[in-house]
Amino acid sequence: MPKQTLMTTWFRILLLVIPLSGNIRAQEKFEKESRIGEKEVPTQALLFLAPLNLSKVKWYKEEGLNGTSIEVKFKAGKARYSVEFDTLGRVEDIEIEADWDDLASGLRDSIAASLNNHCIQHKVIKVQRHFKGDEAELFSIIRDGKNIPSLTHQYELIVRCNQEHQVDQFEYLFSDTGQPVSRSKIVFRNSSHLEY
Amino acid sequence: MNTKITFLAQVLATLWLIPSAFAQSTYRIGGLPSLNLNLKLNNDWSLNTKLESRQQFRSGEWNGKAIDQYEYLLTDLSLIAAKKIGLNSRLAGGYLVRSGEGEWFHRFIQQFVVVQKLSGFRLAHRILSDQTFSKHEKPGFRFRYRISSEIPLNGESVDEGELYLKINNEYINSLQAMEYDLEIRLTPLLGYDITESFKIETGPDYRINSFINGNTRHSIWMMLNFFIEI
Repeated sequence: MPKQTLMTTWFRILLLVIPLSGNIRAQEKFEKESRIGEKEVPTQALLFLAPLNLSKVKWYKEEGLNGTSIEVKFKAGKARYSVEFDTLGRVEDIEIEADWDDLASGLRDSIAASLNNHCIQHKVIKVQRHFKGDEAELFSIIRDGKNIPSLTHQYELIVRCNQEHQVDQFEYLFSDTGQPVSRSKIVFRNSSHLEY
Repeated sequence: MNTKITFLAQVLATLWLIPSAFAQSTYRIGGLPSLNLNLKLNNDWSLNTKLESRQQFRSGEWNGKAIDQYEYLLTDLSLIAAKKIGLNSRLAGGYLVRSGEGEWFHRFIQQFVVVQKLSGFRLAHRILSDQTFSKHEKPGFRFRYRISSEIPLNGESVDEGELYLKINNEYINSLQAMEYDLEIRLTPLLGYDITESFKIETGPDYRINSFINGNTRHSIWMMLNFFIEI
C-alpha cells in the first residue's frame, strides 16, 4: 500500500472517532481529587486537628457529583487515618485502616459469608473502619484509639472478587454486625498510555 | 516503597551508563510524534492502533562533526488486539507495518502487561517479543521488558485537567543474523490528561545501543504522543 494512502486512511478513521470520544466522556462519573495547601483548608478543620500536633498531614480537595469536600490523611501511632470535612470545616466522617485478621471472628465470618455469596473466590485487599457522629467523640477516637458505641460504625472493604468469567474489584460497606449495606464495582482508569 | 526503590535504582543504573558510553560514539536527534487510538470491545477485548513517524534533524559524532539536516526516516502503523486476562493484566498480539529506507518491514508482536495501582502512583510492567521481516534484511527477533510509572503532579491520582509525569525504562534484547545487541531506553514524559479519554504527552525518548561492541549509538527523539480512548 502506498505510504500516503496508508496515512490518509488512518486520519479518516481518526476524524470519525474523535467526536465519539466526547459523547462517551459525558456519561462518565465526575470525581476529582487534588492536593491542596493548608492555606486553602477551612479554619475549623485545622482547629479540629491542631491538638493532635501531627507532624505530617496531607490535605486534599474532592469534587464529585455530591459536592465538594476536604480530606486530610495522616498516620498516628501505627494506624492510617483519613478525616473528611465539609467545605466549612465540619467533620463528616473518619476512616481508620485496619487489618482483616484484627476484626472479631464473628464479624469476619458474617462478612465472609456475604462475600462467598457473591464471589466464587475473593481476597480482601483493604479494610477501613468508618465512624460518623458527634465531632467531640470522633476526635476522641483519634486521640485515644478506642471505640465509642454511640458513633455509627461501619466497615469498608476493597475486595478482589472472582466471578464466573471475570475478575473485578468491589468496594463493600458492612454494618458493625457484618450485614451488607452497599456494594459498588471499582472502575479502573484506563491505562493504554502505560501499555502501548 | 520497595517498588519505588527498585524502579529508581533501574533508572539510575541507566543514567550511570550514559557518560561512560560517550567516547567513540555517534548520535541522532529528531522528532517522534505518534497518534494512539484505543477501542474498547465486548468481553474484555480491546483494539489498539498506533501511527508513529520518525524524523531526524541532526546527527554526528560526539566531539566530531555534526550534520544539521532534516531527514524523514520512517512511519509505523500497528494494530494490536488485547484481551484482559486478570484484574490488571492484559495479553495482546498484533502486527506492525513499517515504511522506511525505501523498504517495507513487517513485524509481529506479542505482549503481556500488568498495571499496579500503588499508593500515589501507577506502575506498569510490559514483557514484549517481536519478530521483524523484510525483503532485503535478515529476520530480527527481540525480547523486551519495560517498566513505566505514572506519577500524578497533583493529588494521589491523575484526574481530568491535571498534569502527570510518566517515566519509561525499557531493555531490548535483539538478535539479527546471529548478532546480539542490547538497547536501553529512558523516556521521561510530561503528560496532560485533557479528559479520561484524551491525553497528550511530550518529552525526550533517549536510546542507547551498540555499546556492547564498542560503537555506541545514542538517539534522542522528541516525542509528542496523543492517546485517544473510545
